[in-house]
Amino acid sequence: MNSLWSIVFKKELKDLFRDRKTVIMSVILPLVLFPLLFGLIGKGVKSTTEKVTKEVKIAYIGGESSFKKFLSSVPNIKIVETNDYQEQVKKGSLYLAVVVEEDFDTKLAQDEMSDIKIIYDSESTNSQTALDVVEDIISTYKDEVVKRRLEARGIDVSILKPIDVKNEPINKEKSSEGALILTMLLPLYLIIYAITGPMAAAVDLGAGEKERGTLEPLLTTQASRMQLLFGKLFAITVMGIIGTTSSLTGLYIAFKYSMDFMGDVGLNISIGSLLLIGITAIILNMIFAAVELAVSIYARSFKEAQTYLSPVTIIGMIVAYGTYMMDVKSASTIMFNIPLANISLIIKEFVIGVYNPVHIAITFVWAFVYIIAAILFARYMFSKEEVVFRT
Amino acid sequence: MIEVIELTKKFKEVTAVDNISFKVDAGEIVGLLGENGAGKTTTLRMISTMLKPTSGTVKVCGLDLLKEPDKVRKKIGILFGGEVGLYDRLTARENIKYFADLGGLSSEEANKNIELLAEMLDMKEYIDRRVGKFSRGMKQKVAIARAIVHNPDVMLFDEPTIGLDISSSAIVQDFILDCKKKGRAIIFSSHSMREVEKLCDRVVIIHKGRLVYDGRIEDLRRDYNGEDLEKVFLRLVGDKNE
Repeated sequence: MNSLWSIVFKKELKDLFRDRKTVIMSVILPLVLFPLLFGLIGKGVKSTTEKVTKEVKIAYIGGESSFKKFLSSVPNIKIVETNDYQEQVKKGSLYLAVVVEEDFDTKLAQDEMSDIKIIYDSESTNSQTALDVVEDIISTYKDEVVKRRLEARGIDVSILKPIDVKNEPINKEKSSEGALILTMLLPLYLIIYAITGPMAAAVDLGAGEKERGTLEPLLTTQASRMQLLFGKLFAITVMGIIGTTSSLTGLYIAFKYSMDFMGDVGLNISIGSLLLIGITAIILNMIFAAVELAVSIYARSFKEAQTYLSPVTIIGMIVAYGTYMMDVKSASTIMFNIPLANISLIIKEFVIGVYNPVHIAITFVWAFVYIIAAILFARYMFSKEEVVFRT
Repeated sequence: MIEVIELTKKFKEVTAVDNISFKVDAGEIVGLLGENGAGKTTTLRMISTMLKPTSGTVKVCGLDLLKEPDKVRKKIGILFGGEVGLYDRLTARENIKYFADLGGLSSEEANKNIELLAEMLDMKEYIDRRVGKFSRGMKQKVAIARAIVHNPDVMLFDEPTIGLDISSSAIVQDFILDCKKKGRAIIFSSHSMREVEKLCDRVVIIHKGRLVYDGRIEDLRRDYNGEDLEKVFLRLVGDKNE
């Protein structure tokens, strides 16, 4: 005969997977959300940039000058003759206007400083993009003027560059850059997913059971409250882990295929690290699954459970963001005693391939304590008559 | 079969059930009658081990629920009114099977009982469909099957016909009479004297947690000179209100 908790566990998973809403919210949505979002943003940025840089429509105000000639020689610059440039820039039919002094060339010839004014629309992305292009052109033109002036005095241009800085990272592998981003993002995401992943299931299996009126008959079966609790807890944890996995997969796909404008951030994590990160993610999910189940059992209805669970999300997020910028290399051992922060730090260590036995031991012992405490909290809720029959 | 002994339940300051004692024999239907909030549901919840008595106890088939709650649970089936309490996304069979498994039945036993119940309650046609879209009557049958799939000796009904239409009520009432035929001990709570009159052999009337009458329906009628029982009930309860 199956043990009773496993009967509860199997039934709950079957029930949850038949709920289209739960499957969409915890499996499908996280999987497609980031690729879709990043894809759209990437595509949007790319098409705007392409459209503007292909033909930069600008107005040139001022007399004939060497700068105007230089500007016109740039292939993608299109100079439009107009007088009401202010209006046109505002309307967006021109990206920006370049206003050059009448005696521009004379001043340059006399080694004086000349002004160029750029009129642009600070609220338009097109105008901003065009501004970047035009500033680059002016910069190139400026360098040429400087070069000419120095050469006229018989001075080499290299005098302007007394120091040449070369950055050399101590970690030569390609992975270091990606690892830095990952040490910041992975703990954050793992904590947030561990909170949001099990939530729908926790609400359904606690408050939902009350609201449907299935809790009372359930309590008169042979299954003890602890067996019911464990069956439910494991089912919720599994949903959380599935949620985390699909969220991370979605994120990975998004980075891999949609973020080509961010460049390649090479990354290689060892199997050992991945395994340890996986175990940590499971522990995180168990902690939040138990806390959320306890809160959900306390609530009278779905709605109430959702209301009570939002502060849990907020507290988790505050801690997650608090450790976001924390530098793992300078973290003291004491830090590994702070709830959640320790889990965040240990994930950071695993990402960069540091396996400090003391840190691992402290964090995992604490994690074990959190799980036990969370389960005891859930058990307390489940065994209190006032809570169970609070309808 | 059921022996309620000086049963008391206090919620903080409020005494919901106050020193109640009565017995139910095999094959007997006892009506537990009282107004809303009289303590009917609390009494039934204590008998079914969901709530712990503050003092007193209940013996079910000779088993003390304080000492052997697990064994007591095996002996009882409950059918509570209001929400039928089924899992909408599971089929009727899966709903019943879940409770059979949790009731400690072997797979063969569970399947055999489910087949019998499907036959008895005429559910064969839809037993493998999800209950979400069932009519109230169909759901009621599934809830009944779930309540007795583990062959309990004792059945507890808490206002089982509340909110039901006539045909669904009839299903429940037929089922109660069938339980009696099979020799089960039955407690049936209601606030309707009419229903109690129709089904019950004996009646236990409680008011504000206290027992105000325990006796056969005929005796009650005789004691009050054949007066309408609804009026008798009001008088019994009314006396205590003063």
